[in-house]
Amino acid sequence: MGNNKKYWKGLADLNNDPDFIKSAQNEFAEELPINFLGKDSRAEGSTPRRDFLKFLGFSVTAASLAACETPVRKVIPYVIKPEDITPGIPNWYATSYYDGHDYASILVKNRDGRPIKIEGNKNSTVTRGGTSARVQAAVLSLYDSARISGPIAKGSPSSWSTADKDIAAGLASGGNIRLLTSTIISPSSMKAIQEFTAKYPTAKHVVYDAISYSGMLDANKASFGKRVIPTYNFEKASIIVSLGADFLANWISPIEHAAQYAVTRKLGAGKKDMSRHIQIETNLTVTGSNADLRIPAKPSEIGQAAVSLLAAVGGGVSAKSLPFDDKLKTVAKELLENKGKAIVVCGSNDVNVQILVNSINQALGSYGTTINIDKPNYLKQGNDADVVALVNEMKSGNVQTLIMHQVNPSYTLPAALGFDEALKKVKLKVSFADRADETASQCDYICPDHHILESWGDAMPVEGSYSLIQPVIFPLFNTRSAEESLLKWSGNDTDYQSYVKKNWQDGIFAQKGAGSSFNDFWSKCLFDGVIDTDGKAVAASVAPVAAEVNADSKKTESSAADASIAAAPAPVANAQDLNAVASNIPKAGNGYELSLYEKTGLGNGVQANNPWLQELPDPISKVTWDNYITMNPRDMREKGYNLMERADRNATLVDVTANGITLALPVYPSPGQAIGTIGIALGYGRTKAGKAANEVGQNVYPITSVVNNTFSYVSSAALSDAKGEFLIAATQTHHTMMGRTVVHETTLDAYQKDAKAGNHTEKFKLQLGQHHTEHTATELDLWATEKYPGHDKPIHFWGMAIDLNACIGCGACVISCNAENNVPVVGKAEVAMARDMHWIRIDRYFSSDADPKEGSHEGKNYTEMENPSDYPQVVFQPVMCMHCNHAPCETVCPVAATMHSSDGLNQMAYNRCVGTRYCANNCPYKVRRFNWFKYSDNAEFDFNMNDDLGKMVLNPDVVVRSRGVMEKCSMCVQRIQEGKLNAKKDGRKIVDGEIQTACAQACPTNAITFGDYNDKESQLSKLNEDERMYHLLEEINTQPSVLYLTKVRNAEETATDGVAAASKQHA
Amino acid sequence: MEVHDSKLREPLILGDKSLHDITEDVCRPIESKPNRMWWIAFIISACGLLWWIISDSYTIGTGLGRWGLNKTVGWAWDITNFVWWVGIGHAGTLISAILLLFRQKWRLSINRAAEAMTIFAVICAATFIISHMGRPWLVYWPIPLPNQFGSLWVNFNSPLVWDVFAISTYFSVSLVFWYSGLIPDFAAVRDRATTKGRKFWYGLLSFGWVGSAKNWQRFEEVSLVLAGVSTPLVLSVHTIVSMDFATSVIPGWHTTIFPPYFVAGAIFSGFAMVQTLLIITRKVLSLEDYITIYHIDMMNRVILITGSIVGIAYITEFFIAWYSGVEYESYAFLNRMTGPYWWAYWSMMTCNVITPQLFWSSKIRTSLAATFIISIFVNIGMWFERFVIIVTSLHRDYLPSSWTMYSPTWVEVGIFIGSIGLFFTLFLLFAKFFPVIAFSELKTIVKSNNLLQKRGGQHHE
Amino acid sequence: MSKLIFGIFSDEDVLLHNIRPLKQNGVKITNVYTPYPVHGLDKVLGLKRTRISICAFIYGITGMCLALLMMWYMMISDWPMDVGGKPNFSFYKNLPAFIPVTFESTVLCTAHGMVITFFLRSKILPGVTAFVPDKRMTDDKFVVQVELTDLSKEAEVTAMLMQHGATEVKEYGK
Repeated sequence: MGNNKKYWKGLADLNNDPDFIKSAQNEFAEELPINFLGKDSRAEGSTPRRDFLKFLGFSVTAASLAACETPVRKVIPYVIKPEDITPGIPNWYATSYYDGHDYASILVKNRDGRPIKIEGNKNSTVTRGGTSARVQAAVLSLYDSARISGPIAKGSPSSWSTADKDIAAGLASGGNIRLLTSTIISPSSMKAIQEFTAKYPTAKHVVYDAISYSGMLDANKASFGKRVIPTYNFEKASIIVSLGADFLANWISPIEHAAQYAVTRKLGAGKKDMSRHIQIETNLTVTGSNADLRIPAKPSEIGQAAVSLLAAVGGGVSAKSLPFDDKLKTVAKELLENKGKAIVVCGSNDVNVQILVNSINQALGSYGTTINIDKPNYLKQGNDADVVALVNEMKSGNVQTLIMHQVNPSYTLPAALGFDEALKKVKLKVSFADRADETASQCDYICPDHHILESWGDAMPVEGSYSLIQPVIFPLFNTRSAEESLLKWSGNDTDYQSYVKKNWQDGIFAQKGAGSSFNDFWSKCLFDGVIDTDGKAVAASVAPVAAEVNADSKKTESSAADASIAAAPAPVANAQDLNAVASNIPKAGNGYELSLYEKTGLGNGVQANNPWLQELPDPISKVTWDNYITMNPRDMREKGYNLMERADRNATLVDVTANGITLALPVYPSPGQAIGTIGIALGYGRTKAGKAANEVGQNVYPITSVVNNTFSYVSSAALSDAKGEFLIAATQTHHTMMGRTVVHETTLDAYQKDAKAGNHTEKFKLQLGQHHTEHTATELDLWATEKYPGHDKPIHFWGMAIDLNACIGCGACVISCNAENNVPVVGKAEVAMARDMHWIRIDRYFSSDADPKEGSHEGKNYTEMENPSDYPQVVFQPVMCMHCNHAPCETVCPVAATMHSSDGLNQMAYNRCVGTRYCANNCPYKVRRFNWFKYSDNAEFDFNMNDDLGKMVLNPDVVVRSRGVMEKCSMCVQRIQEGKLNAKKDGRKIVDGEIQTACAQACPTNAITFGDYNDKESQLSKLNEDERMYHLLEEINTQPSVLYLTKVRNAEETATDGVAAASKQHA
Repeated sequence: MEVHDSKLREPLILGDKSLHDITEDVCRPIESKPNRMWWIAFIISACGLLWWIISDSYTIGTGLGRWGLNKTVGWAWDITNFVWWVGIGHAGTLISAILLLFRQKWRLSINRAAEAMTIFAVICAATFIISHMGRPWLVYWPIPLPNQFGSLWVNFNSPLVWDVFAISTYFSVSLVFWYSGLIPDFAAVRDRATTKGRKFWYGLLSFGWVGSAKNWQRFEEVSLVLAGVSTPLVLSVHTIVSMDFATSVIPGWHTTIFPPYFVAGAIFSGFAMVQTLLIITRKVLSLEDYITIYHIDMMNRVILITGSIVGIAYITEFFIAWYSGVEYESYAFLNRMTGPYWWAYWSMMTCNVITPQLFWSSKIRTSLAATFIISIFVNIGMWFERFVIIVTSLHRDYLPSSWTMYSPTWVEVGIFIGSIGLFFTLFLLFAKFFPVIAFSELKTIVKSNNLLQKRGGQHHE
Repeated sequence: MSKLIFGIFSDEDVLLHNIRPLKQNGVKITNVYTPYPVHGLDKVLGLKRTRISICAFIYGITGMCLALLMMWYMMISDWPMDVGGKPNFSFYKNLPAFIPVTFESTVLCTAHGMVITFFLRSKILPGVTAFVPDKRMTDDKFVVQVELTDLSKEAEVTAMLMQHGATEVKEYGK
């Protein structure tokens, strides 16, 4: 029986209720209770209360949701991502830096298309991976908002086409064309210039260095028939005598010299001997402060010193007597003992003095050993005589067109020459300057050149050492490389990139490129950044030297060609002439002898608008944001000027008059300055450089004069009485060590006898019942923490070593740190409040006559100790966060914003910091820096962080600290992290030296070593075992992760007394 | 029997006051309009308060850079003022707690005002804790609260966290102590109130107190226990404040003598401030009969003793600095005497060590004018003490390269002067609206006191 | 049906000496209001000793334990950190650093716990309307509150109060 069961839904179904049947056809048997938004009521056009509430509720929620939405942030807006850029991953490009003054082969870190950091290129045989403060800062100069954004014609923005048209017309109209450039070290540029001069026969190329080495060049011309500067190899010298040459910080090729010098100064397990360095100078320079024996001398005496030395080494000249003859005798003796291992350099720009120095080196057999005249250094080629001639030509109205490249003559030329008037007489004035500077603003056309980081090019700083320049960013503005402009005007339309490429293909590739396609060769060169051609330029066609010099080198080609490195160079003028030469040495005038010098920060002033450099403390004076008169405190006492003792920041303002020019400048006490002399730094007092540079300090270039056909940076000067006060912003206002062993020091003899000399750590007695034991502070530990989990450093234990023998105090590390860690610029006013933000500082201490002598037990006179000697010994000590393992700062932080990482870093969590500053107070090293204000986007601090362009330099890996938080050296934790991740990706251990902190990387002398204590093979671990190793303030048992190596001087202990004696003779 | 053994005692209240007189005298200022002197004082203080508001908002609005601090001297006037105010606060608690434990009846006329002073002083101190922070809006972070950073806790090793606990405990406990004492007096004011407003407000403030036997029994027990816990508390507070310095490594701070030395100094400055205040108050509110020369004398003795203790502490510090033979330590103290801040050190010495010694003479001790002047001197001296400890220790610490000088800006000065304005504004309001003498408790001694006076009278016949 | 009458005294000694006799005479004294603490009054009234100090002690112990527990949890257990090389990984070695906070917390809990208890037990709270039989009782009068269980005895009790030193006798609100 089939299943015919009937399931009825309720009675209505059972007895087929008609309504039920009807409704059963609908999907829903009953009216659904849908009344959302009041279906029925809407029909009646009225909104009942509950519906109103529904609307209300909905709209309120909607509104509030809309409010919650976060504002849209733009990320890198790539439509098509360039395959070589990965957001967050830096690209490195090898290129070269050259601004007409400083050269360095560099690597540029490029993040998301922005160059943010410059580092040295280890492949370079010239700069050896070193950098200087100025080179480090160049990356910020790229983002200088004072740069002009395109060609300017007659003071108003114009276009390249019009500029080209007008200038070409002007050139075609005949008349004398003069091309005034800085030294050109680029073969390609030189080729372009030659093309230009070939196109316009009336054109002449004049080379001008703001800080001139003309005297030296002329001297070499006289001595060797070559107007070139030789290469100096300090590495080979066991005795270095410098007559006022600041070769570690400024002279010719400082980075190169510093690297060589450091090799001879470093000591260690294998190496127990070091070079002896004697400095005879006027102003206390970076180089002089590193000398083992420093003889202060007036500029006029330096020339005479050269004569005396020459006489003493058998040069057959008659010397006048000098206050410090006795010392010169010993110097000469030492020189003669080291024939062939000696090197004598001289900073004078007087041809006669340089000729004498040449003969001294000749007599010592330095040529071919420590000095190589056949391997010229092309960094300085200026010819002062030509420049003077040019100005006269201009005055007489014989110059139709003047084109200027990398020069700023109306700022840098002696006032006496009257360049500005002469310039008015020139019909067509063209400048390639990147800003409307003092000269460019007077030109008819400014055809802005690229910044070096935007341009193509090449360089040959030293014969046979080539390096390439490639752009690391698309030009920020509508600029064009100067060479391209020149080529265009001489009718050659090739773009400069292919011009350079072509040039290399014909030249270097032809010689070096054997067995590879040019493209491979080219990309390899681009990758390495440098290439050496066995110590000789490949072909005269690309020797980056001015035509005249070119001719010379051609002339001496034959002699040079067969002259191997060791061969005796061209004969020197004979003794008879030398006496004549000696008699032409500039004599001292009356009054103070003024010696103008170059500062490590600003150099010749080309980068003056770079706030990093303005705020870089001068290595010696520690002053920022100003130039001033340096004067020996003893002289100041006589003149009754303020000695600025006890952290007094108000200097006496006086009028200094020299060569008929009077300037109002503050007098800053500068121990070590030769008695009866004063010094003033060049490069300041810019008027049209930009907001950071304008009206900072005084321009002293006008004081320079022409003596013996060269620019002279010395003259006699008169000082007025006090004219008022002037606020000086120095980062260090106390100058002596107060008899504390902050810097451990010893002499070479002592060190050779006992490697721990001057570094015997204090022992503390511990009386336990009857027997007492002796321990170092580190051994005495309340908790023996290392035993506890969390305190041991299981994987890494980062640390740093600083070799006080290698540190020359140049300050490259400071700028490098600024760039890497977004350290803000705070300006003069804040620095004067002792609120500089630098994470690493270089403490500079002078010795004091009152310093307790070793072994003596007489009571200390602290008040006396506050005053440095008139001629003190100087020590430099870089200090950054010590990353103490018993950090006083960590303990006192109420919110645990600073604590220790498991790999030994003292960490700072900015966003946890509430800013009690307790940590800074409790830091014995005072390395913590507080954000007193909001230093970014704050009109009160109108530097690069308040400037959209300037902000592009910021490192995206490091946060910009907000107002009210503490900050300090992080040991470049972002780099450590990057290194760890790279190693992790490759599944390997971190290789020692793979991670470099910014300071360590920048150091031209490798004084700073970063590494891992847990890696027993690491450089750091080895240094940790060195007998010279010590910790700063070890006795308070902070157990720092940064260690120092005792400073060793190659001098008798009596060096200071000797200097003191010299000072007495002066008095 | 109290009558007999109190033969030799000075009367604590002058004039034959009945219980009612006392109520009348103490409530008069509350019930009558303030007199001219009050208004003058109030307007001056209010101006100070205004300056305080301006300077503080300027600092918090633009940044701590408005102050004269620098990379080496991270604390100066801010913490100096903080410690100074906290120290002043101590006298109040000391009078009400320790003297209660010692059954010193003479405290009764002054403890109310002194406790009020404590509370206002601690408020002033607290303002400096907040304003000295780089990011004052995060002032609650040093309190161990669960937070959005995955419960990142505070660091209990830090003396600043100890401070947070000490100061907050000290403030709240003093407040409670003070208020529980006020309740019966409020009740009295309430019951005599004639106006609606006063009825309502004092009714509210008095928590419905009726003074039944059981209430009084509990009341006295509570006061006793509060006194018992407040005594170690008040000692602990300045001990902990001193640990801010004592636990650090800075030469001149790192000193084990600090806790007792700071506590003595606190009591010293506190009593001086009480003198300053009461000598004015008794005049302005004409309470000469209650706050008598005897009270002044008694407090001067305390000042003399604590002053001498402080003096000994100074000398001990120097001895230890020399005896330890620690380079940095000995220089730190030499620098105090002969360094650039010698003037601060010597003003401290003069004000704190020499001036109080004048109190050996009872003539000076019982002279209002002299007491007032000396009390001001002591206040100044104790301010300098903190300045010397903080600034002269910091400005020349370990590495000479970082040595600097410090000088204040108008903003800092403004905040300090302003805080005094804040303090006096609060105190004047207290003097106007609160019973400045704990008269309910004072009444307990009236009977014996009056008998004593009568006998004294008989003697003279 | 009972009612309250109040004997007003104006001298504490008189009060103290007459409470006992009154009680012996069967006057039911339910409370005494005084302007200030009259010592010995609780004895003659036979009030029990208050246990508020015992509470205080317990609060104190609690505060101490809470503080130690908190610091152990926060510093040692929940998130131990290497802070200045201090032994933050062992409670007892780090204990010295915990003493100050422990002490403060003890005091805090003692004081506040006790005062709050006092307020609650004695019904002293903001907004409580006071029971004031005589306005002078917070000034200079001592008010003895007597409960009459037998209204007929009113005159007798009043007389007794007067004879035992009361200056006047009144009913509430009159």
